[in-house]
Amino acid sequence: MIAFSRPFWPLFLHVFGAMALFGAILAAGITSAVSWRQPGLVVLRRATFRALLVAVPAYIVFRAAAQWIYSKEQDAYGGSDPGWIGIGFIVSDAGLLLLLVTIGCAFWWQRSGKPLAGRIVAGLSALYLVMLAVAWLAMSGKWG
Amino acid sequence: MLHVTAAFFLFGGSAAAGILNTLAIRAERPSETAYLLRLVRVTLPLIGIGAAGTLVFGIWLWHELGFSIGAAWIWISLALWVAGNALGGIGGRHQEKTRELAERLAAAGDASTAELNALLRDRKGNALSWLAGAAILAILVLMIWKPGS
Repeated sequence: MIAFSRPFWPLFLHVFGAMALFGAILAAGITSAVSWRQPGLVVLRRATFRALLVAVPAYIVFRAAAQWIYSKEQDAYGGSDPGWIGIGFIVSDAGLLLLLVTIGCAFWWQRSGKPLAGRIVAGLSALYLVMLAVAWLAMSGKWG
Repeated sequence: MLHVTAAFFLFGGSAAAGILNTLAIRAERPSETAYLLRLVRVTLPLIGIGAAGTLVFGIWLWHELGFSIGAAWIWISLALWVAGNALGGIGGRHQEKTRELAERLAAAGDASTAELNALLRDRKGNALSWLAGAAILAILVLMIWKPGS
Protein backbone atom coordinates (compact mmCIF):
# COMPACT_ATOMS: atom_id res chain seq x y z
CA MET A 1 0.00 0.00 0.00
CA ILE A 2 2.81 2.39 0.95
CA ALA A 3 4.62 1.72 -2.32
CA PHE A 4 1.51 2.57 -4.35
CA SER A 5 0.68 5.71 -2.36
CA ARG A 6 4.12 7.34 -2.51
CA PRO A 7 4.26 10.86 -3.93
CA PHE A 8 5.87 11.07 -7.36
CA TRP A 9 8.84 13.38 -6.89
CA PRO A 10 10.77 11.72 -4.03
CA LEU A 11 10.44 8.26 -5.55
CA PHE A 12 11.28 9.47 -9.06
CA LEU A 13 14.36 11.38 -7.85
CA HIS A 14 15.48 8.40 -5.74
CA VAL A 15 15.23 5.93 -8.63
CA PHE A 16 16.61 8.40 -11.20
CA GLY A 17 19.59 9.24 -8.97
CA ALA A 18 20.29 5.57 -8.28
CA MET A 19 20.17 4.66 -11.98
CA ALA A 20 22.40 7.61 -12.94
CA LEU A 21 24.80 6.64 -10.15
CA PHE A 22 24.90 3.07 -11.48
CA GLY A 23 25.59 4.39 -14.99
CA ALA A 24 28.43 6.68 -13.85
CA ILE A 25 30.10 3.93 -11.80
CA LEU A 26 29.63 1.54 -14.74
CA ALA A 27 31.37 3.99 -17.10
CA ALA A 28 34.23 4.41 -14.59
CA GLY A 29 34.39 0.63 -14.10
CA ILE A 30 34.66 0.05 -17.86
CA THR A 31 37.41 2.62 -18.44
CA SER A 32 39.44 1.53 -15.40
CA ALA A 33 39.03 -2.19 -16.16
CA VAL A 34 40.22 -1.68 -19.75
CA SER A 35 43.31 0.10 -18.43
CA TRP A 36 44.33 -3.20 -16.77
CA ARG A 37 45.53 -4.36 -20.19
CA GLN A 38 46.62 -0.94 -21.46
CA PRO A 39 47.88 0.96 -18.43
CA GLY A 40 49.66 3.66 -20.42
CA LEU A 41 46.59 5.33 -21.93
CA VAL A 42 46.06 8.80 -20.46
CA VAL A 43 42.54 9.04 -21.93
CA LEU A 44 41.35 6.20 -19.68
CA ARG A 45 42.64 7.87 -16.53
CA ARG A 46 40.95 11.14 -17.43
CA ALA A 47 37.69 9.49 -18.48
CA THR A 48 37.52 7.43 -15.27
CA PHE A 49 37.97 10.48 -13.06
CA ARG A 50 35.38 12.51 -14.98
CA ALA A 51 32.84 9.66 -14.95
CA LEU A 52 33.25 9.40 -11.17
CA LEU A 53 32.61 13.13 -10.83
CA VAL A 54 29.23 12.59 -12.55
CA ALA A 55 28.46 10.06 -9.80
CA VAL A 56 28.62 12.75 -7.08
CA PRO A 57 25.47 14.75 -8.00
CA ALA A 58 23.71 11.46 -8.83
CA TYR A 59 24.53 10.18 -5.34
CA ILE A 60 23.28 13.40 -3.69
CA VAL A 61 19.94 13.25 -5.57
CA PHE A 62 19.50 9.53 -4.82
CA ARG A 63 20.38 9.82 -1.12
CA ALA A 64 18.46 13.05 -0.41
CA ALA A 65 15.33 11.62 -2.06
CA ALA A 66 15.72 8.40 -0.03
CA GLN A 67 15.78 10.43 3.17
CA TRP A 68 12.75 12.42 1.95
CA ILE A 69 10.77 9.18 1.45
CA TYR A 70 11.99 7.71 4.74
CA SER A 71 11.04 10.81 6.75
CA LYS A 72 7.47 10.52 5.45
CA GLU A 73 7.16 6.75 5.95
CA GLN A 74 9.16 5.85 9.05
CA ASP A 75 6.11 6.06 11.34
CA ALA A 76 4.40 3.41 9.23
CA TYR A 77 7.11 0.88 10.22
CA GLY A 78 6.36 1.27 13.93
CA GLY A 79 9.93 1.97 15.02
CA SER A 80 11.28 -1.24 13.47
CA ASP A 81 12.56 -0.79 9.94
CA PRO A 82 12.17 -3.75 7.59
CA GLY A 83 15.32 -5.49 6.34
CA TRP A 84 15.25 -3.90 2.88
CA ILE A 85 15.45 -0.41 4.38
CA GLY A 86 18.40 -1.47 6.54
CA ILE A 87 20.17 -2.85 3.47
CA GLY A 88 19.44 0.41 1.63
CA PHE A 89 20.96 2.47 4.42
CA ILE A 90 24.07 0.25 4.67
CA VAL A 91 24.67 0.36 0.91
CA SER A 92 24.05 4.10 0.59
CA ASP A 93 26.15 5.13 3.60
CA ALA A 94 28.99 2.67 2.97
CA GLY A 95 28.64 3.57 -0.71
CA LEU A 96 29.40 7.23 0.00
CA LEU A 97 32.64 6.24 1.69
CA LEU A 98 33.45 3.87 -1.17
CA LEU A 99 32.65 6.54 -3.75
CA LEU A 100 34.91 9.10 -2.07
CA VAL A 101 37.78 6.60 -1.76
CA THR A 102 37.31 5.61 -5.42
CA ILE A 103 37.39 9.27 -6.51
CA GLY A 104 40.53 9.77 -4.40
CA CYS A 105 42.22 6.77 -6.02
CA ALA A 106 41.12 7.97 -9.49
CA PHE A 107 42.66 11.37 -8.75
CA TRP A 108 45.88 9.67 -7.59
CA TRP A 109 45.84 7.54 -10.76
CA GLN A 110 45.30 10.59 -12.98
CA ARG A 111 48.18 12.46 -11.35
CA SER A 112 50.67 9.61 -10.94
CA GLY A 113 49.78 7.29 -13.82
CA LYS A 114 50.55 4.30 -11.61
CA PRO A 115 48.80 1.14 -12.89
CA LEU A 116 48.15 -0.01 -9.32
CA ALA A 117 45.89 3.01 -8.75
CA GLY A 118 43.89 2.14 -11.86
CA ARG A 119 43.48 -1.43 -10.66
CA ILE A 120 42.26 -0.27 -7.27
CA VAL A 121 39.72 2.02 -9.01
CA ALA A 122 38.53 -0.91 -11.16
CA GLY A 123 38.16 -3.14 -8.10
CA LEU A 124 36.33 -0.51 -6.04
CA SER A 125 34.01 0.32 -8.96
CA ALA A 126 33.15 -3.37 -9.39
CA LEU A 127 32.47 -3.67 -5.66
CA TYR A 128 30.22 -0.61 -5.73
CA LEU A 129 28.27 -1.96 -8.72
CA VAL A 130 27.65 -5.22 -6.85
CA MET A 131 26.54 -3.29 -3.73
CA LEU A 132 24.12 -1.20 -5.80
CA ALA A 133 22.72 -4.36 -7.39
CA VAL A 134 22.14 -5.89 -3.93
CA ALA A 135 20.41 -2.67 -2.83
CA TRP A 136 18.02 -2.49 -5.78
CA LEU A 137 17.22 -6.22 -5.47
CA ALA A 138 16.54 -5.79 -1.73
CA MET A 139 14.43 -2.68 -2.25
CA SER A 140 12.38 -3.92 -5.19
CA GLY A 141 11.95 -7.40 -3.67
CA LYS A 142 11.23 -5.92 -0.21
CA TRP A 143 13.61 -8.38 1.50
CA GLY A 144 12.83 -9.01 5.15
CA MET B 1 12.54 -7.37 -8.95
CA LEU B 2 13.50 -8.64 -12.42
CA HIS B 3 11.71 -5.72 -14.11
CA VAL B 4 13.58 -3.24 -11.88
CA THR B 5 16.90 -5.03 -12.56
CA ALA B 6 16.26 -4.81 -16.31
CA ALA B 7 15.38 -1.11 -15.91
CA PHE B 8 18.68 -0.51 -14.10
CA PHE B 9 20.53 -2.27 -16.93
CA LEU B 10 18.71 -0.23 -19.59
CA PHE B 11 18.90 3.17 -17.89
CA GLY B 12 22.33 2.65 -16.27
CA GLY B 13 23.82 1.23 -19.48
CA SER B 14 22.41 4.16 -21.46
CA ALA B 15 23.79 6.63 -18.90
CA ALA B 16 27.24 4.99 -19.11
CA ALA B 17 27.08 5.12 -22.94
CA GLY B 18 26.05 8.78 -22.76
CA ILE B 19 28.96 9.63 -20.44
CA LEU B 20 31.49 7.84 -22.68
CA ASN B 21 30.01 9.50 -25.78
CA THR B 22 30.20 12.95 -24.17
CA LEU B 23 33.83 12.34 -23.14
CA ALA B 24 34.58 11.18 -26.71
CA ILE B 25 33.17 14.43 -28.14
CA ARG B 26 35.39 16.43 -25.75
CA ALA B 27 38.53 14.35 -26.34
CA GLU B 28 41.57 16.20 -27.67
CA ARG B 29 42.85 13.68 -30.22
CA PRO B 30 41.15 11.37 -32.75
CA SER B 31 42.80 8.32 -31.12
CA GLU B 32 41.12 9.22 -27.80
CA THR B 33 37.77 9.82 -29.49
CA ALA B 34 38.01 6.46 -31.27
CA TYR B 35 38.98 4.66 -28.07
CA LEU B 36 36.09 6.08 -26.02
CA LEU B 37 33.56 5.44 -28.79
CA ARG B 38 34.84 1.84 -28.96
CA LEU B 39 34.16 1.53 -25.23
CA VAL B 40 30.52 2.59 -25.79
CA ARG B 41 30.12 -0.84 -27.45
CA VAL B 42 30.85 -2.53 -24.09
CA THR B 43 27.61 -1.08 -22.71
CA LEU B 44 25.48 -2.40 -25.61
CA PRO B 45 24.92 -5.97 -24.30
CA LEU B 46 23.75 -4.54 -20.97
CA ILE B 47 21.41 -2.09 -22.74
CA GLY B 48 20.11 -4.94 -24.94
CA ILE B 49 19.41 -7.21 -21.95
CA GLY B 50 17.79 -4.28 -20.15
CA ALA B 51 15.60 -3.38 -23.13
CA ALA B 52 14.44 -6.98 -23.63
CA GLY B 53 13.96 -7.53 -19.90
CA THR B 54 11.91 -4.39 -19.30
CA LEU B 55 9.57 -5.40 -22.13
CA VAL B 56 9.16 -9.07 -21.18
CA PHE B 57 8.92 -8.59 -17.40
CA GLY B 58 6.86 -5.43 -17.87
CA ILE B 59 4.21 -7.28 -19.90
CA TRP B 60 4.29 -10.08 -17.32
CA LEU B 61 3.72 -7.54 -14.50
CA TRP B 62 0.93 -5.92 -16.52
CA HIS B 63 -0.91 -9.25 -16.38
CA GLU B 64 0.17 -10.14 -12.78
CA LEU B 65 -0.81 -6.82 -11.20
CA GLY B 66 -4.09 -6.66 -13.08
CA PHE B 67 -3.66 -3.29 -14.76
CA SER B 68 -6.35 -2.55 -17.34
CA ILE B 69 -5.66 -3.63 -20.95
CA GLY B 70 -6.51 -0.06 -21.96
CA ALA B 71 -4.10 1.60 -19.48
CA ALA B 72 -2.85 4.56 -21.54
CA TRP B 73 0.38 5.01 -19.55
CA ILE B 74 1.43 1.44 -20.40
CA TRP B 75 0.68 1.86 -24.11
CA ILE B 76 2.53 5.18 -24.17
CA SER B 77 5.47 3.49 -22.40
CA LEU B 78 5.49 0.76 -25.05
CA ALA B 79 5.48 3.39 -27.82
CA LEU B 80 8.34 5.22 -26.09
CA TRP B 81 10.22 1.92 -25.72
CA VAL B 82 9.99 1.35 -29.50
CA ALA B 83 10.92 4.98 -30.25
CA GLY B 84 13.83 4.91 -27.79
CA ASN B 85 15.28 1.75 -29.30
CA ALA B 86 14.85 3.02 -32.86
CA LEU B 87 16.44 6.40 -32.09
CA GLY B 88 19.25 4.74 -30.12
CA GLY B 89 19.96 2.44 -33.06
CA ILE B 90 20.12 5.31 -35.57
CA GLY B 91 22.22 7.41 -33.16
CA GLY B 92 24.54 4.44 -32.72
CA ARG B 93 25.14 4.29 -36.48
CA HIS B 94 26.17 7.96 -36.40
CA GLN B 95 28.63 7.16 -33.57
CA GLU B 96 30.04 4.23 -35.57
CA LYS B 97 30.63 6.50 -38.57
CA THR B 98 32.41 8.99 -36.29
CA ARG B 99 34.50 6.24 -34.71
CA GLU B 100 35.59 4.87 -38.09
CA LEU B 101 36.77 8.31 -39.21
CA ALA B 102 38.51 8.92 -35.85
CA GLU B 103 40.34 5.58 -36.20
CA ARG B 104 41.49 6.43 -39.73
CA LEU B 105 42.78 9.82 -38.54
CA ALA B 106 44.46 8.22 -35.50
CA ALA B 107 46.36 5.89 -37.83
CA ALA B 108 47.40 8.79 -40.07
CA GLY B 109 49.14 11.14 -37.63
CA ASP B 110 46.43 11.54 -34.97
CA ALA B 111 45.49 15.08 -35.99
CA SER B 112 41.88 16.20 -35.91
CA THR B 113 40.13 17.49 -39.03
CA ALA B 114 37.15 19.72 -39.73
CA GLU B 115 35.25 16.65 -40.95
CA LEU B 116 35.71 14.84 -37.61
CA ASN B 117 34.80 17.95 -35.64
CA ALA B 118 31.67 18.36 -37.75
CA LEU B 119 30.66 14.74 -37.12
CA LEU B 120 31.35 15.01 -33.39
CA ARG B 121 29.26 18.15 -33.10
CA ASP B 122 26.59 17.18 -35.61
CA ARG B 123 23.36 18.36 -33.99
CA LYS B 124 21.14 15.87 -35.79
CA GLY B 125 23.32 12.88 -34.98
CA ASN B 126 23.73 13.78 -31.32
CA ALA B 127 20.07 14.75 -30.97
CA LEU B 128 19.05 11.20 -31.92
CA SER B 129 21.00 9.75 -28.99
CA TRP B 130 19.72 12.40 -26.58
CA LEU B 131 16.14 11.82 -27.74
CA ALA B 132 16.60 8.07 -27.15
CA GLY B 133 17.73 8.90 -23.60
CA ALA B 134 14.76 11.26 -23.16
CA ALA B 135 12.38 8.48 -24.26
CA ILE B 136 13.82 6.13 -21.61
CA LEU B 137 13.56 8.87 -18.99
CA ALA B 138 9.92 9.48 -19.98
CA ILE B 139 9.24 5.73 -19.51
CA LEU B 140 10.72 5.96 -16.00
CA VAL B 141 8.43 8.94 -15.25
CA LEU B 142 5.36 6.99 -16.44
CA MET B 143 6.34 3.84 -14.52
CA ILE B 144 6.56 5.77 -11.25
CA TRP B 145 3.67 8.17 -11.87
CA LYS B 146 1.23 5.55 -13.29
CA PRO B 147 -1.29 8.22 -14.31
CA GLY B 148 -4.87 7.00 -14.07
CA SER B 149 -4.05 3.90 -12.00
